[in-house]
Parts: sequence; structure tokens; C-alpha cells
Amino acid sequence: MAKNTKGIEVAEIISDKCIACQICIGECPVAAIQLTAEGVARIDPELCIGCGKCSESCPVDAVLFEKKKKRRLRKEERGIPPEAIPGYEGVAVFIEISENVGAQVSWELAGKARELAEALNSKVMGFLLGSGVEAIAQDAVAYGCDEVHVIDDPQLEHYLPVVYGKALADLSETLRPEVLLIGATHLGRDLAGVVATHLRTGLTADCTGLAIEQETRLLLMTRPTFGGNIMATIFCEHKRPQMSTVRPRVMRPPEKDEERKGVIRHHEWTPPMVELPILVELIRDSADAEGIDIARSPALVVAGRGACDPSTFHLLEELAHLVGGAIACSRPVVESGFMPYERQVGQTGKTVAPKLYIGVGVSGAIQHLVAIQGAEKIVAINSDPKAPIFKVADVGIVGNYLKVVPELIAQLKKRVG
Amino acid sequence: MHFVCCIKQVPDTAEVKIDPDTNTLVRAGVESIANPYDVVALEQALRLKEQYGGRVSVISMGPPQAEASLREALSLGADKVILLSDRLFAGADTLATSYTLSCAINKLSHEHPVDVVLCGKQAIDGDTAQTGPGVATRLGYTQFTYVVAVDWINTEEKQIQVRRKVEKGSEVIRGPLPALLTVELELAKPRRASLPAIVHALREPIGAWDGSAIGASPKELGLKGSPTWVRSISSPPAKIGGPTFDAGEDLAEAVAKTLDVLFSDKSFAIKLAKRWEA
Ligand SMILES: Cc1cc2nc3c(=O)[nH]c(=O)nc-3n(C[C@H](O)[C@H](O)[C@H](O)COP(=O)(O)OP(=O)(O)OC[C@H]3O[C@@H](n4cnc5c(N)ncnc54)[C@H](O)[C@@H]3O)c2cc1C
Ligand SMILES: Cc1cc2nc3c(=O)[nH]c(=O)nc-3n(C[C@H](O)[C@H](O)[C@H](O)COP(=O)(O)OP(=O)(O)OC[C@H]3O[C@@H](n4cnc5c(N)ncnc54)[C@H](O)[C@@H]3O)c2cc1C
Repeated sequence: MAKNTKGIEVAEIISDKCIACQICIGECPVAAIQLTAEGVARIDPELCIGCGKCSESCPVDAVLFEKKKKRRLRKEERGIPPEAIPGYEGVAVFIEISENVGAQVSWELAGKARELAEALNSKVMGFLLGSGVEAIAQDAVAYGCDEVHVIDDPQLEHYLPVVYGKALADLSETLRPEVLLIGATHLGRDLAGVVATHLRTGLTADCTGLAIEQETRLLLMTRPTFGGNIMATIFCEHKRPQMSTVRPRVMRPPEKDEERKGVIRHHEWTPPMVELPILVELIRDSADAEGIDIARSPALVVAGRGACDPSTFHLLEELAHLVGGAIACSRPVVESGFMPYERQVGQTGKTVAPKLYIGVGVSGAIQHLVAIQGAEKIVAINSDPKAPIFKVADVGIVGNYLKVVPELIAQLKKRVG
Repeated sequence: MHFVCCIKQVPDTAEVKIDPDTNTLVRAGVESIANPYDVVALEQALRLKEQYGGRVSVISMGPPQAEASLREALSLGADKVILLSDRLFAGADTLATSYTLSCAINKLSHEHPVDVVLCGKQAIDGDTAQTGPGVATRLGYTQFTYVVAVDWINTEEKQIQVRRKVEKGSEVIRGPLPALLTVELELAKPRRASLPAIVHALREPIGAWDGSAIGASPKELGLKGSPTWVRSISSPPAKIGGPTFDAGEDLAEAVAKTLDVLFSDKSFAIKLAKRWEA
């Protein structure tokens, strides 16, 4: 270990491990750590007093520091109350409503919540907000909620963050779940930040993995960050509920069981006393007018930049039709104006989980791949044998799509009519 | 009208990766930039100022280097820029970040009442999209996320109308000021700064506020005020692909073999033949 001119053994940061979370900067008692222009923390050896707090607080072991006796940070030093927070129980799921029925993601979460509740030896609660939602409450039971807590009020007919935010925070304060899960949909991500702020608790965004750590009973929440290049596992030790939004179509939905029994309870509430926004108009996407939602299509033929040519569109259309699916695309194809945004697959587009995904001239960038993890079979057609999409494909054809697609259509017709 | 923009300085994430062999971050040549969504937010603020008059203030919480984004904002036409920098801010999650930003906006509001706060939809590194709703909730401002157009502001009646994306399309919605907007990239195409403006911006003073300047309670700041902690990082799960067949050699055979692989899963083959019914 390096010594400074005062002879103190100082800590050093391993720059390629540092994730610039800045935790050490806040921990250092002598302000010896700064973020460099390259975005890594650096310790000034002359200022460092060798206390090792940076090393203890670093989540990714990026600090080179050895100490004879390793001292754990006391909880008070981390600004955390020493005793655990009692009185929180159960895994709650916010039941989102889409087109007058429970949104698919809510049932996916109910399934996941069941798993988590079993690990915690606890119950699954559905939190349902809306107007005239009795049938959805029944569905929530059928999808595995032990209890459904409902606020049924005409004021909740349309979603407004300020109204729903208060309603969900109120329910959560009354029922005190240990975990609260919300689908990472447009609505869910708009809402979750409001609720977590009301409850002053932690919120992990857009998770793709959830698990209970047995020893601590903590929820470990895994999510893509840095544009999908890096997965981070996050936890929330000292505030309840542990909240997370969860990406749709990642968790497997449970079987619906109409025979299941559960408790449905209605709750009173007081709406927020503020002037509310007024919805002037709702405009449906034109793609929706065609009745196509790529997130729901059982098969997708996905056009990439390598197949971004309107004159060959009929080929892809024929293939899509033949496999009983729809056409989607990568981001460059949307940017070129060839297809509408609603058809974009990817981190900034839609997450899809078709039974069959056929990528045509799609290279397989990480921002695209994060959104097709739920696909059952992936077929790739690409002229470059090194294209990353082949790494995730179940089967691939190296070649020019102009030749491959017609042949594929011909042979498919013979096999499946 | 007083418009406030929140700008986060971020690494250009398209470049950040994990080295699969060492499981460490590869950041060679990664530059820091102003979050692209926030540059759009600033553009929208500048246009609103041009249309309705008033001032544009910009705040950024971050280490001293975040000054670069603030100079950029000055060169584009911001009236006042403030760096929120304090060791106590470090390690903030979105709960602590929204606290710090809302304290700063409150302080700005004492100077000139704030009418509209503009944030990006999300930062491209943290990607949570949680800071905007957090700030709106703390300040009690009307919240409009995923905004793709600002239709109008009625300065007399203190109302704003926007278009925002929703799951199945978009909605037109209006509500009372003060409001907080989080903006989508397509909202506006950012202008470029002129050379004289860039030079001028280099000489402008940049305000700096620390925790006590914004009247913040230290236990709600940074790491201490952050309930979420990062436990570990890793590469996205690696997948090894299935077989590939070269159509350059024999097109018909490559396609046939591909279909053989696909149809070797009988239940899949049946589903496809029935075109996915049950
Ligand atoms: C913050 C952020 C968010 C993003 N979000 C998304 C997103 O939501 N969705 C998304 O898709 N991308 C997204 N991207 C962009 C992403 O990084 C890639 O640039 C993009 O996915 C590439 O699209 P592509 O595969 O169609 O094009 P390219 O990468 O250009 O690949 C084209 C492929 O076509 C092949 N090809 C060319 N000609 C032929 C031919 N005749 N026959 C067969 N193959 C051919 C080439 O070999 C190549 O592999 C995002 C990027 C960032 C930074
Ligand atoms: C790997 C990793 C994972 C993380 N995951 C989580 C998580 O799941 N939950 C969580 O609470 N925190 C998380 N954080 C911390 C989070 O990145 C920081 O709190 C950050 O300060 C704000 O969040 P964001 O980057 O997601 O911004 P977003 O909430 O996506 O930003 C939205 C908008 O808020 C404004 N804004 C955000 N930050 C600033 C700023 N510093 N100055 C000015 N304006 C700003 C900008 O207008 C921006 O466009 C994570 C951090 C890391 C390194």
C-alpha cells in the first residue's frame, strides 16, 4: 500500500472499478476525494488520513486499502436509525388498469409477489384504485392476491399523478406493506416517484430481477443502468416499504385461478385539496388505430437499419403475415421516418415478448436486446457473421435478407401452410 | 415568467461497458456531457421565455466539473446558472436528489417566484426518471411527465397546456402553474451556441450553492438522505447463441437447417402451425 509524505498508509481508487457513485466522497471526513473529469473518484494522498471509510463504504470494492482491524461503519454514521423498522408486513402490488381491465404487468407482478411472499412467509396484497373496479378486484384474487385493498371513487376514474399518488401513499401508510411493486409502465413510472416521495422511502427503477436475501429478508432489486450496459443490484435497508418499479414482460404471469379465495376490502380516503389538471383530449396512436400493439403480438418481424428500405417492405410484410405476426423495428428505422415510434423495440421503445422474433438486418445493440429478453425464439438474419444478435439468437442465417427472406417465406409455406 | 431548468452532467453512456474478463468498468475515452434530455428542456425554456418573457435559471447538482454543462447553458442563453455542489450532496439517490433540487428551487423562488420547472424525462446514466416526479411532489407543483409539446401558457390565469405521451397514444392536458414538466427528446431541437456566446459564457460568473446556502437539513442530503444503496454491479447476463448457417454457400440448405432447428421444438412448431392459438 502506498504511503504519503507524512508516512500515512493511504487509500487508492482502482479507477476501472469505480462507478462514480460518489459515496466515498460523502464519507471522507477530510474531503480528500474528488471526482475527476474522467468521471472516477480520486484520492489526494496528501490529504488522506488513512481512516479507511472510503474502502468500507464502497459498494464495488474499488478502493485499495488494507487495515489491520477492519472497522464496520456504525449504523448511526450512515445516518440510519439503529433499530429495525417494525410493523411492516406483506408484499403489495399496485394493480394498474388498462382499457378497463387489469394491466398484464400487474398480474406478472402478482406472480412475482407470490414468490417473494413465500420467501418472507407473508401475504400478497393488491392495491387497486379506480371507479367501478369490482371485477378487477376479483381478477386480482384469481391471479394470486390474498387481500385486495380498493379505493373505488369516481374521482379516480382518470389517472392524475397528484390524486393517485396520494391515494396509493394513503393505502400504503394504512396497510404498511414491507414491499410495494409497481409496473414500470408510463403510468407506473409517473406514479411511483410521487408515492415514494410522499412515503420518504427508497425506490428502485425499472427492475428486471427481484429476490429476497434470506439472511436479511431484504429485497434485492436488479436493474439495467448506463443505458443497459450495466446491471446494478440495489437494496433499501432502513426504509419501508421497499419500493420498485418492474419492467413489463419480464416476470412470468401466473395462471388465473377463478376458484381462489381472497379478501376484498374497500377503504375511505380524502382527495388532495388542490386545483387539479383537466384532461382536454386523448389522442390514440395511429398504429393503435390499426389495432396493432407490438408488445402483444405473438410474432414479430423486426426491421433493422440493414432492412430499412420501403421498396422491400412487402417482403417483411409477407413474412410477418405468414408467421401470424406484425412488423416492428429498431430505432434507426424510426429515426429515418420509415416507421412510427410505436413500432420501435428497445430501451427507449417497447419491451416485447413474442413467441417468435425474427430480426432482419438488426445488429443487436444492447439497447435493443434488453427489450427482447422475453422472446421465446429468436431468429436472426444478418449479413455480418459477427453481429451481436447472433449471440442471443436461437438460430441465425448469415446472408443478405433480400435473398434469405424470400427463400424463408417459400420454405415456411411448405412447412406450415 | 420564471423558468427553471434542471441539468445533470452525465457520462456518455453509450461508451460505458463492463470488461467481461475482469468485471470492471471500461470508461476509456468516455466524455461527460449535459444529459441530452435536459438540453431539450433548456431549449424549451428558452423558447417559452422568448414567447412569454421572463427569465431562465439553470441548476445542476454535481461535482465542480458539472460547471461545464452550466457554461454550455449560459452560452445557449440562460440568464442565471447555479452549481449545487457540496460534499454532503455526494452519493444521493433520487429521494435525496429531489430534496436538494427542491430546496434550490425554493430559494430561487424567493428571488423571483418560479412558474415552470423543466427536467429531462430521464438521465441517461441513472435512467430512473424519478427525480422529476420527486421534485414536483415536494414542491406541490402540477406534474406533467413525458411532455412532447407545450401548447400555451396563460400568464394571467396561471395555466399551462401540454401534450404528453401516455401508454396508448398521447393526451392534451392543462393545469395550474407552477408546474413541473419532464420532457421527451422530440419536444424541441436544441439550438447551437454562437462562438461569441461561447466565449462570453467562459467569462460569466457561475453561482455556487452548498447545503447551507439552500437551507437544507444535512441528514436529508446525499448518502445520509438516501434509502437506496447499490450493492453490486455486473454485466447483463450473457447468452451464447444457437447455430448459424451461411446462406452464401447454399441458400436453400441454410434456410432448411434454420427451420429444422426452429421446428425441433415440437410444442413451438405446433403453436406456429396453429398460429399461436392456445
Ligand atoms: C440511450 C439510447 C437508447 C437507445 N434505444 C434504442 C431502442 O429503443 N431501440 C433500438 O433499436 N435502438 C436503440 N438505441 C440505438 C442502438 O444503440 C443501436 O444504434 C440500434 O439498435 C442499431 O439498430 P440496427 O441494428 O437496426 O442498426 P445497425 O446497428 O446499423 O445494424 C444494421 C445491421 O444490418 C446488417 N445488414 C446490413 N445490410 C444487410 C442486408 N442486406 N441483409 C442482412 N443484414 C444486413 C448489418 O450487418 C448490421 O448488423 C439506443 C441508443 C442509445 C444510446
Ligand atoms: C448504477 C446506479 C443505479 C442507480 N439506481 C437508482 C435507483 O434505482 N433509485 C434511485 O433512487 N437512485 C438510483 N441511483 C442514483 C441516481 O442515479 C441519482 O439519484 C441521480 O442523482 C438522479 O437520478 P437519475 O440519474 O436516475 O436521474 P433521473 O431521475 O432519470 O433524471 C430526471 C431529470 O432530473 C433532473 N436531474 C436529475 N439529477 C440531477 C442533478 N444532479 N442535477 C440537476 N438535475 C438533475 C434532470 O432534469 C434529469 O433529466 C443509481 C445510481 C447508480 C450509479
